[in-house]
Amino acid sequence: MVTLAIALVLIFILMRLAPGDPLARLSEDRPLTPAQVVALRARFGLDRPVGAQFVSFVGALAHGDLGTSIQYGRPVIALVSERIPATLLLGGTVLLLNFTVGVWLGVRQASRRGGAEDTALTLLSLSAYATPSFWLGLVLAWLVGVKWHLLPAAGMEDPLLDPAAGWLAHAADVGRHLVLPALTLSIVSIAGTMRYQRSAMLEVLRLPYMVTASAKGLPERAVIWRHAWRNAFFPVLTLFGLWLPILVTGSVFVESVFAWPGLGSLAVGAVGYRDYPLLMGSSLLVAAVVVTASLVSDLAYAFLDPRVRLS
Amino acid sequence: MAAAISAAAAHAQSPDPRSAAVIVTGGEATTPIPTLMEGPAANVANLEVADHLFLRLANLGPELITSGDRSFVPQLAKSWTRRDSVTLAFDLDERAQWHDGVPVTARDVLFTFERARNPAIAPRLAELLRRIASVTAESDRRVVFRFSRPYGEQLYDAVWHVAPLPAHLLEGIPPEQLRQSSFAGNPVGDGPYRWVRSVPGQFIELAANERFFLGRPGIDRLVVRTASDADARMNLVLSREADAMDNILPPLTNLERMAGDKDVRLIPVPSPTLGFLLFNQRDPADTSRPHPILADREVRRAIILSLDRGLLVRAVYGPYGEVPYGPASAILWIRHGTPKPAGLDRAQASRLLSSRGWKDSDGDGVLDRNGLPLRLTLNFPASSAARRQMALLVQQQLRQVGIEVVLQQFEFPLWTEHRNAGRFDIDFSATSQDPSPSGLTQGWSCGGGTNAAHYCSLTVDSLMQVAIGSSDHAREAWHTVLRRIEDDAPAAFMYAPSYVYAVNRRFGNVTIRPESSWLLLWKWTTGAPAARRTAGY
Repeated sequence: MVTLAIALVLIFILMRLAPGDPLARLSEDRPLTPAQVVALRARFGLDRPVGAQFVSFVGALAHGDLGTSIQYGRPVIALVSERIPATLLLGGTVLLLNFTVGVWLGVRQASRRGGAEDTALTLLSLSAYATPSFWLGLVLAWLVGVKWHLLPAAGMEDPLLDPAAGWLAHAADVGRHLVLPALTLSIVSIAGTMRYQRSAMLEVLRLPYMVTASAKGLPERAVIWRHAWRNAFFPVLTLFGLWLPILVTGSVFVESVFAWPGLGSLAVGAVGYRDYPLLMGSSLLVAAVVVTASLVSDLAYAFLDPRVRLS
Repeated sequence: MAAAISAAAAHAQSPDPRSAAVIVTGGEATTPIPTLMEGPAANVANLEVADHLFLRLANLGPELITSGDRSFVPQLAKSWTRRDSVTLAFDLDERAQWHDGVPVTARDVLFTFERARNPAIAPRLAELLRRIASVTAESDRRVVFRFSRPYGEQLYDAVWHVAPLPAHLLEGIPPEQLRQSSFAGNPVGDGPYRWVRSVPGQFIELAANERFFLGRPGIDRLVVRTASDADARMNLVLSREADAMDNILPPLTNLERMAGDKDVRLIPVPSPTLGFLLFNQRDPADTSRPHPILADREVRRAIILSLDRGLLVRAVYGPYGEVPYGPASAILWIRHGTPKPAGLDRAQASRLLSSRGWKDSDGDGVLDRNGLPLRLTLNFPASSAARRQMALLVQQQLRQVGIEVVLQQFEFPLWTEHRNAGRFDIDFSATSQDPSPSGLTQGWSCGGGTNAAHYCSLTVDSLMQVAIGSSDHAREAWHTVLRRIEDDAPAAFMYAPSYVYAVNRRFGNVTIRPESSWLLLWKWTTGAPAARRTAGY
């Protein structure tokens, strides 16, 4: 709670320090007269001193009210709630792929250290890690969506799908739309996890108890997964706490390229509009996610590693 | 597994995709309801969806003439009569019905204008409707508008700015609660399409109003998808997940990409956008003083003559743009019959500068006078690819006559802040104009609300008032205004582009209106075999 409170104050101050008028973009489609600008400032409380704005924001927050978005003219809480499922779906899928495929490939690489497969996977992972996700997204959308027509090029669901169609059809539809954005984000993030897991495994594989395990005549699979990986996974687990917020905010470009209706694109739009209430709401949510993810990560660490539990 | 999923999804597709149209736009319509489209909600996305749901008393005619009583197309009002110079009577079409089957009556018009003219409810509309003195009903189907004074755009003001709302559904809802009401989430209109559902951040679905009294829409189901990214919009059209999109943005390679698809038709439509280099008449360091360089009209003219504006427009917009004469975008009817804008004349520009004492005394390639170099900043927003590209070319062209331009690119809110505070020498502005030329007073009159450069000519102000009041000779009066503004050179009017729309060729009778893109979509037909691809999914 203390961390969140500090984040709240910092976000509020930093946003107000950033130059730019929150009402600027409202005049993009239709120019506003000075009288209309004055009325809008009063409506959104922007004509009040910053201190008074902060006090009223905190007061409203205590009642679960994050204010009204300047850009959308709707309650921030409603906007954020609408976008969370898409963000969780995309982020969750990427995390799942990241920590299954990435870990598996990292372990595989380490157990075949120096071999052709390790070299090939190293080259691949380094290339993937160096690839900008927005570029990869553009290429995949064009190639897979436009050129080959294998998967939808954008969006989260087919608007022409009959709303009365069964849940399977809807789930399949969302699944098809999910593939390209999830793949785009995963390719880059898996590469990082692979590298991390490989290093951790190599550290463990050097330890004497591994020789003992092999000398006991255990099959290689058991040596690698039961004895080595269990210890080599802990460093990777800490990545979880770091990846989660990145997947919320770092997917902005991918969400944009694939018209994925997530929180990232909403937050970036809010930055461009200087939509203070929406920016506060989405930033607070990300801050809460970071704090929660760190907590979950620490708890998982303690749960999985008896040494941590004992200490 | 994948095949099964694909089959399940394909099976659940609309049974006849030909009966549906999916258009993809950059903005999301959140409140497409008349009188609620205020402040943040007064955006193109809301206005365009509202046009499917709610019917105006009349629409603009093909030439978009806003002055006089003749150039309008009947909609909710089947006819109108001018009683005197300040009174118009409208007869509503007795066939008109709300989507719930209740007839549209004079009560609805009165209810709507009562709300729309109340600045506490709808400040933007109240300002636009300020010259309407009263709206009364003479019968269930006859409404009488009285205006505070004679002027040319009385009919336009009465019919264009706001479409009637259903009084029988809204009278019990206080205006301040309307935005949160069930009506706002499920609006009931009288237009060619009725509301079906909204999936926030993704799309809005509408269905044909089968009882629409002006004719049954040719397309049964209309989906308005949202994709803020221009590439995503193009991909949706090219992959056949959308049938049409608005305004393919520069660079020209985007147009080439879309033109490469034989199933897609490109349709250029005059746009309300006007781009111009706005010359600050006041010193950015102290706005109480005249600008040390740009307060001189001859210098401003010299800058205009130093620019090959036609070349710049072609470089950015290809064949889909033109150099405007005065502050008149391609949507304004007053642009027809105006003189040709001044072309490139570097020799004359140099003569003008020389006559005002600007010489290159130190041989550095930049003109100077009394130790002051002819150096100007040019501000533009980073979000506009067209202006960024054009600003670079402006810099190059002005360098050739000895004017140094320092480019300053800003993030949009910051750029606006500089502009509104007058912190610029030259501002690369762009505006979106209403069909009415009376909006020009905002930017080009002495007290104009968006006149950031403090351009002030009492002659122009007076000419504009004459033009606004004029009915029979409005075009000539407005041409005089434009000529005078061109003479004063408060800005270099750079581009008036056409928006290029992409529409799948399977649609027939396609008309896209400059004042509201999809206004006549209900008249589109679907004849050709469905081209919507579901292959692979």
